[in-house]
Amino acid sequence: MFFKTNTVCVYGGTGRYGSYHLKRMIEYGTNVVCVVSKNKHIQRMDGVPVYQSLSESFEKPDTAVFFVPPQNVLEAFKDAVDNGVVNFVIITEHVPVHDTLKMLKLAREKGATIVGPNCPGVINPHERVKVGIMPEKYFKAGNVAIISRSGTLMYETAKHLSENPGVGVALGLGGDPVVGTNVSEAFEIVKKLGYEKVLLIGEIGGEDEVRGVEHALKIGFSPENIVAFFAGRHAPEGKRMGHAGAIIEGERGKVSFKEQRLKELGVKVVKFPWEVKDAWRIW
Amino acid sequence: MKIHEYLAKDILRAEKVRVPRSYLVTSEELAEEKSLRKCLERLGFPQVLKAQVLVGGRMKAGGIVVAENLEKSLEGIRKILGMKIKGEEPYGVLVEEYIPHDTERYISLSIDRNVRDAVFVYSEVGGVDIEEFASKYPDKVLRTSNIRELPKDLQEFAKQLYDIFVRYDLTLLEINPFVFKDGDFYALDAVFHVDDSALYRQLWAYEDTEETNSFVPFENGEIGVIGCGAGIVMATIDILVEHGYKPANFCDLGGGATMESVYEALKKVMSLCSKAVLNIFGGITDCLEIAKGVVNFKEEDPDFEIYIRLSGNNEFLAKELLKKHGIYAVDDMKDLIERLQEDEKVQKRGVNDVF
Repeated sequence: MFFKTNTVCVYGGTGRYGSYHLKRMIEYGTNVVCVVSKNKHIQRMDGVPVYQSLSESFEKPDTAVFFVPPQNVLEAFKDAVDNGVVNFVIITEHVPVHDTLKMLKLAREKGATIVGPNCPGVINPHERVKVGIMPEKYFKAGNVAIISRSGTLMYETAKHLSENPGVGVALGLGGDPVVGTNVSEAFEIVKKLGYEKVLLIGEIGGEDEVRGVEHALKIGFSPENIVAFFAGRHAPEGKRMGHAGAIIEGERGKVSFKEQRLKELGVKVVKFPWEVKDAWRIW
Repeated sequence: MKIHEYLAKDILRAEKVRVPRSYLVTSEELAEEKSLRKCLERLGFPQVLKAQVLVGGRMKAGGIVVAENLEKSLEGIRKILGMKIKGEEPYGVLVEEYIPHDTERYISLSIDRNVRDAVFVYSEVGGVDIEEFASKYPDKVLRTSNIRELPKDLQEFAKQLYDIFVRYDLTLLEINPFVFKDGDFYALDAVFHVDDSALYRQLWAYEDTEETNSFVPFENGEIGVIGCGAGIVMATIDILVEHGYKPANFCDLGGGATMESVYEALKKVMSLCSKAVLNIFGGITDCLEIAKGVVNFKEEDPDFEIYIRLSGNNEFLAKELLKKHGIYAVDDMKDLIERLQEDEKVQKRGVNDVF
């Protein structure tokens, strides 16, 4: 899902958000080959054919991005996975968690990768490929990979990184408590793509960032190449801050705990988003 | 979303899990005393009166009472209906038959975000002090996603609970305690949380909370916070606190905010404090919509101070519109804080001049 050679199908590409982002993805350079939609009246969108199911399509894409309403996500997933799709980006928010669990189980059986739900997607500025909704002009090609649990903070930090040293690839994992690709798996992907420097954007809730960095160090990342920024340092305990996953339910979900653990591992944690651009230079 | 016990037990009963026979008493029910007396008598004595509240720890707060006879039961119901438990007025009183038992056990199902699966937590000791027990004897508490790792006699019961957990889109199903009697397991209490995202297909779970996740007021705040995207709003709160300010709220407009939603958010914030920061990084969001909402608001409430950061989609047009109305917007979070601090200095100096 990071390369020009990837063929992309857009589920829900005739809807309000889907049609807007279909166009933007194509303009950026993503190889979109078809749209799947329940709309029976539209045959083509921005030059690509529209189908009601991927089984009607002659071309079999390897990647699918979802803009469908939450109640249709599981059904769309089954349609795509049955037709050979192996990379999924689920933009939709408010997907029932039991549906996410079902998709994860199916993905494990079929060897598929899911990014999201409730995420901004992925972008590779070097290839000019994005499968997602991020404002691409803030992602200037460079050598830092971003792994983020928050969409807007990914844009925010990318804007600062774009001054220097630039963004290699960015993965928005999503703000739900259960997501298809967690921080550990994101580090695996980033490693496979050949990046050494990683900016990790975390937030309150869960312990995914700590587990992820521990895993990253095991698979060969060096701590001085990882920089982390967290949101929710001053969020009140027990209250949910927008993201379904962003709620402090114990000591380990606090920013202070995560920050301390990462520091012990030798990872630098910055306090403000504008500090990320200098974070590697200081080391 | 939390679900009342009586509703959870209705589901358990419908799904063939044994629960005590019961009768729900609300204030209206109480007024019809004659028919109420009949219903209570049918349950037999002693009976257990349980306040229907969504907060935990009601036993210790006096929300659970055992009544030996009809008069005591009526008296207890009246008392519970008139009390507040941790600030919450009971929705009603669930009156249950008393199930004699020797030992109380604990079982729950929840979603573990690390293993990304449903997880059973089981303990041979249940009851009111389960948290304390679990932290004292962690090795006596079993955590597993595999039903076959639970004690053999429990597995069928656990399977029933698992099916309910999935079918009703629960994020928590807790039975504490459950007991063994007459060759069967009885759920004496039940705590259900249902997934908010699945409410469209779980219509039995009524919406009874006004507060949404996208607007959370804080205590003693002095500056409102509005933004698009949960992450950026949390980060804005952090930055304000780090610079010595007290945020009054969390407000996420979400992606694709409209001028109406911006206007309404500002009105809400205005009821909490006298100034606000707006931090907008428009990905999906159209900055022009934000600007229009701000202008509409400012026309009605010109004295409410707003500090705005605008980046992204349609940023230029949005800033032009704001400028026309004498409102200045910056394009970086850091500048936002600096402006806030500067204005404060100017205001302070102003006060000094007067003296």
